[in-house]
Amino acid sequence: MSSLTDIAIRVLRQREVGLLLLIIVVTAIVSTVDPGFLAVGNLKDILVRSAPTAIVACGVMLVVVTGEIDISVGSLMALLAALMGLLISRHEWQLSMWVGIPAVLLCGTLIGLLTGTLVTLGKVPSIIVTLGLLTALRGATTLLMRGENIDGLPEGLQSLAKSGIGGLPLSVWTAMGVLMFTGVIITHTALGRRLFALGSSAYAAKMTGLSETRLKLFAFAYTGFLTALATVVDVPRLPKIESGIGNGFELLVVTCVVVGGVAISGGRGRLVGVMLAVVLLTMVRPVLTFLDVGEAGEKWTKAIQGLFILLAVITDTVVSRRPTGSARGPVPVKPSSHLESEGAPA
Amino acid sequence: MSIMEQYGMRSNRGWSLTCLLAFSCLWGCSGGTESGPSTTSGGTEEKLTICLLPKIKGIAYFSSCAEGAREAADELGNVELIYDGPTDGDPKKQAEMIEQWTVEGVDVICVAPNAPDVVAGAMRDAQDAGIKVLTWDAEGVEGTRSFFVNQATSQAIGEGMVQAMVKDLGGPDVEGDVVIISSDATSANQNAWIDVMKPALEKTKLNLVTIKYPGENASNALADAQDVIKKYPNLKGIFGISSVSFPGAAEAVEQMGKSGEILVTGLSTPNEMKRFVRNGTVKSVVLWNTIDLGYLTVLAAESLAQGKLKPGDTAIQAGRLGEKPIAGDNILLGDILVFTADNIDQYDF
Repeated sequence: MSSLTDIAIRVLRQREVGLLLLIIVVTAIVSTVDPGFLAVGNLKDILVRSAPTAIVACGVMLVVVTGEIDISVGSLMALLAALMGLLISRHEWQLSMWVGIPAVLLCGTLIGLLTGTLVTLGKVPSIIVTLGLLTALRGATTLLMRGENIDGLPEGLQSLAKSGIGGLPLSVWTAMGVLMFTGVIITHTALGRRLFALGSSAYAAKMTGLSETRLKLFAFAYTGFLTALATVVDVPRLPKIESGIGNGFELLVVTCVVVGGVAISGGRGRLVGVMLAVVLLTMVRPVLTFLDVGEAGEKWTKAIQGLFILLAVITDTVVSRRPTGSARGPVPVKPSSHLESEGAPA
Repeated sequence: MSIMEQYGMRSNRGWSLTCLLAFSCLWGCSGGTESGPSTTSGGTEEKLTICLLPKIKGIAYFSSCAEGAREAADELGNVELIYDGPTDGDPKKQAEMIEQWTVEGVDVICVAPNAPDVVAGAMRDAQDAGIKVLTWDAEGVEGTRSFFVNQATSQAIGEGMVQAMVKDLGGPDVEGDVVIISSDATSANQNAWIDVMKPALEKTKLNLVTIKYPGENASNALADAQDVIKKYPNLKGIFGISSVSFPGAAEAVEQMGKSGEILVTGLSTPNEMKRFVRNGTVKSVVLWNTIDLGYLTVLAAESLAQGKLKPGDTAIQAGRLGEKPIAGDNILLGDILVFTADNIDQYDF
């Protein structure tokens, strides 16, 4: 094998490179058809729509890295939005924002902890726990909202969410903060290394004295907290709080995590890849509009998102089968090595 | 030791699973448990159990229908009303609920199918089990129901929206682009209205440039509206034809500072759109009387179960609504209502 293909494969193994290329190609095609796609206003819209997905994906990524999954964040967002509406809307309890918002953040974290507890201490597979919560939390939302939509959130919060500070809405600033914070956790803390170590080999991690329970509890609670944060900064942008908020959001987030190159079996993945996937998948709707594919085109949105997942999984398998280096093969479940080597990403 | 541990874990896991399932049943199928069909609550006479299945439970539109349904049930006195449906609009869950009610042996099931094909099987099974099946709000597949309580013909609604848009934009000579923002690509109601709107628009000087399908998702509806406003500089109007896409489109127009420049019209309950009618983003809101729709549906269900309503009838006595016509197997509620700044404050639902 020539060294050139070797390099090519090495480069393609970096999921980030593939995603970035895809984003560039798609953008190039669309802006040839309609240069308006590159207008500042449109790029800003894409950024704003990416924000809640980016925030929550930071949490779900850590959950997946430990070898678990969370598919309940869409329903959790609906429940927390309803709770926020009830607490601080001027038509409801009219509590101060400074009481209501911390309460929502606390509630999100507690539900995340509950999920984590069921998974770790209850020993129920996380897919089952969060599948149950997906339905349960949506049902709880309906009960909480008593069939009425809620509007009348504080004007200050609405204008922060819609127009924001320095030309960018609150959600975008929050997403930047969460990204940096999560990046630091992953690359610069023992906690980050331990989460990856646990995902690469739970056995080895336990042998070295890491607490599986604590690490997973952290990942789920962090996801719950971030879902609450995304709710607080993004939902006031919508015309009103209705019980369908966050419909399909859980699948979008998981798609971003998987397409972003996080191994569904745990232990491997990079934040940069996940963020590129968030941007790519957020682009699907506006791209179809700007390509002017007409009414038939819109029906393809879901199919295209599905295609991205398949492509991600297929490139993963194909590329990792090629006999170069050691980087991306399936993780052996032997109680050896891997603690530091596979773990920390950049 | 290891066996003990294994057993310990097993039972622990089983317990958690049970709790979780119980929890999700209690919350997920909210309401399903609170009123079983066997509860004849005291009275000696057998009560009729009528199930009213909305497309989505928890949104204002269907909640106002339910209000009318409860009114009819109270008025009749011999009816046990179960109002329940999926909270996310999932038609597979609708089918599951119909199956559940069939097993419980209720008297009448009134379905607002979100995807007619998906619920058709369950509706046929219910009919085979001797249960009367009606559709309301949205039509089902042929042969899956005995009557359809039709809130207003697709013709009246589709043409009503186009007429409202033409009038609001300033008359039949106005030229420009318009878009339709629908619900899901499979939503039967929306598709029927679109089929009427297309030829109606061709008779005007307005040009339909695209149709968007954001589903029942407020973020997507807002995003799609923002995108079409940027994409089509000659855009004059947006039809938001679901309860989510109408406020979503109005919000987009308002946030982009285009109120008055780009008009939004569509179907909604008045309370949902009052804010946008007051600030001029929306001039007309088109709808039928949703409370009357729920009321008529329950009355028709009761008449059907009692044998007072039979195939071939041309009219039905509908309580406070008086006599309502039946065309074929469609029980017709009547014409559309248009809410404008002049009359919207008179309505509260």
